[in-house]
Amino acid sequence: MRFAALLLAFLSAYKADAHEMLPSHPVLSVSYVSGVLKTQMHLFNKRQDVEYYEVGVFDAEWNPVPFVTGYRIIRLEYLEQVKFDVYILKDDADRAEFVCSRSKLRGDDTKGAMVASRICSRFSKGRS
Amino acid sequence: MRVTLLAGAVALACSGALAEEAIIMGNVESKCVINTDTTGVYGNPVAGKLSTDTADGGVEPIIRYDVALGGSYTARIVAPNSFSSSPVLTDTVFWEGSSAVKEVSDTAMADYEDNAVTYDYTTEYDLHTAGTTWFSVDSLAEYGYGKAYPAGEYRAIVTAECIAN
Repeated sequence: MRFAALLLAFLSAYKADAHEMLPSHPVLSVSYVSGVLKTQMHLFNKRQDVEYYEVGVFDAEWNPVPFVTGYRIIRLEYLEQVKFDVYILKDDADRAEFVCSRSKLRGDDTKGAMVASRICSRFSKGRS
Repeated sequence: MRVTLLAGAVALACSGALAEEAIIMGNVESKCVINTDTTGVYGNPVAGKLSTDTADGGVEPIIRYDVALGGSYTARIVAPNSFSSSPVLTDTVFWEGSSAVKEVSDTAMADYEDNAVTYDYTTEYDLHTAGTTWFSVDSLAEYGYGKAYPAGEYRAIVTAECIAN
């Protein structure tokens, strides 16, 4: 019993919370709107302490590039996954370098140093 | 006529049996997963110091990176340089922070620490080998010149990034 309690305490202290986004090199392709390209991303939330993720598109110097998604901040429950489309103007496509998702932390959830995770995929320049 | 139909049925049955194949397809693609193995905690060994160092009663955050294909991603870890929430502070806070490779799953990753690029509070690691790497982050925040922190809760954020190459 004491061992089980110790094991449980150990497991809860060292639980793994993960953030995952695919693909690593998305390809921009034509959309149903002329002059607009799109790609589809897949986000998976395995972080129990995170419920929201913010999507952003950036150039090579990390300046923001205009884009459209259904929701710029996506609500994702623990162990939920979502596929979302990212639309970018054809004129902006050449300078768009990264599409990133960043975890949004609640200020009142944990004490001390919290970890914000950000995963950035790089647009493949060989477009379809 | 009956013989022809029977022969046809037997032939169809045989071809059906021959077509029984189960295909399993898989695809390995570059992927990076950021795991928060341990959330950090600040220790408060003296009134004006908050530190994640174990000797100071703190807990260093441990971040795990899982990479499916080597050479596809760069890890970038930014140690805190401000509080995300705290009581009202009337003096400056002196920040120190860095990250370090704590453990690796492959001996080929032994050079991650030596080849790391550090600037400001940021450290970048080239994840050139597929597998898992654990990073620890230490953070120190000292208040004013020998001043005591006001009572309350203090929070700071470590940013762990995985950037496709």
